[in-house]
Amino acid sequence: MDPSEVEFLAEKETVKIIPNFSLDKVYLIGGDLGPFNPGLPVSVPVWLALNLKQRQKCRIVPPEWMDADKLEEIRELERKEDTFTPIPSPHYMELTKLLLNHAADNIPKADEIRTLVKDIWDTRIAKLRLSADSFITQQEAHAKLDNLTLMEINTTRTFLLDSLKYMYKLRSNLQPGSGKSQDY
Amino acid sequence: MSDAGSDFSGEDGSQEDIMTPAELIAKLEETWLNERFSPELLENKSEMVECVMEQLMHMEENLQRVKKGDVKASIHRMEIDRIRFVLSSYLRSRLQKVEKFFPHVLEKEKSRSEGDPSFLSPEEFAFAKEYMANTETYLKAVALKHMPPNLQQVDMLKAVPEPCLDCFVFLRVKERQENILVEPETDDQREYVVDLDEGSQHLMRYRTIAPLVSSGAVQLI
Repeated sequence: MDPSEVEFLAEKETVKIIPNFSLDKVYLIGGDLGPFNPGLPVSVPVWLALNLKQRQKCRIVPPEWMDADKLEEIRELERKEDTFTPIPSPHYMELTKLLLNHAADNIPKADEIRTLVKDIWDTRIAKLRLSADSFITQQEAHAKLDNLTLMEINTTRTFLLDSLKYMYKLRSNLQPGSGKSQDY
Repeated sequence: MSDAGSDFSGEDGSQEDIMTPAELIAKLEETWLNERFSPELLENKSEMVECVMEQLMHMEENLQRVKKGDVKASIHRMEIDRIRFVLSSYLRSRLQKVEKFFPHVLEKEKSRSEGDPSFLSPEEFAFAKEYMANTETYLKAVALKHMPPNLQQVDMLKAVPEPCLDCFVFLRVKERQENILVEPETDDQREYVVDLDEGSQHLMRYRTIAPLVSSGAVQLI
């Protein structure tokens, strides 16, 4: 899957905005939105929030977890633990990137947050590589991957799944009689 | 300006549950991801596709009556574009699989017993048949007819690789499952069972959990 498609899925998450216009309820196919009143916070999907922001029609309220102190705690925990710690949002990486790129002026300490999230990401990806390595060397057939986000899975998907597939093929061709060989 | 909030029922109305449009869109997204990540072609969901198309047409008709520059209309358009993207990506990935596995897809369709639901929509079936015929004609025209007579036959079922059901997939559990048998990778390991808790995520072989994907108990990610 393309990373942009994962980002597309992340854009479905809701975020609070403070509009500067008024508008009645909007009845979308996927659910109702609004009503919008100037100064009153309202929850909308991220794709709409970013569009309104670009047209300077709203201010985005950063999600609760997008806070330098909270992220610092998460980073410390992530570095201390050997396993993946629960992350506050299943799309933390994509949302950070989207919101910081388009609405950095609405987010306090934007630069600090960018660095912290990057640190968390790097730590987690390093763990992911280690686990993938031991998964393969121990020839496991099942792994539990709680707390991994879609973006993280996606970065390793093609490489890991293809490697497993070819290793399986090589192995099953080695054992005579087990499984029929693939014709090409 | 629109009544997209109203309920509707499935095409045959009998066994289909009544879904709200929001649930329908969520269903479409799930089906899309499952189709994207499963190694084989999944059951067709033409009913769902038709319902989504209906919703989109309905909304587009409504939008035609709105004057340009309306803020609401632009929000609706953006939503339509997003849904349309998911829908086309879903249909496209099905066609890609039909192209990749056409002899096996057609074989499966042939061996399907009367009354079982088809894996292909009527349009996909027509496409698969045509694709098969065209490939055979092409092979004959460029290569086979120049071969010695005893080599002029080619068995498509053997020539095209089957979907690899032993591939690993990532999945998230939607309904708790107990005692899923995990087959060992090597001979000196023993098979064992795992429980899949609701909400947990796993990496395992597609073959083990294929029935759970079609029943909707797990979601591929």
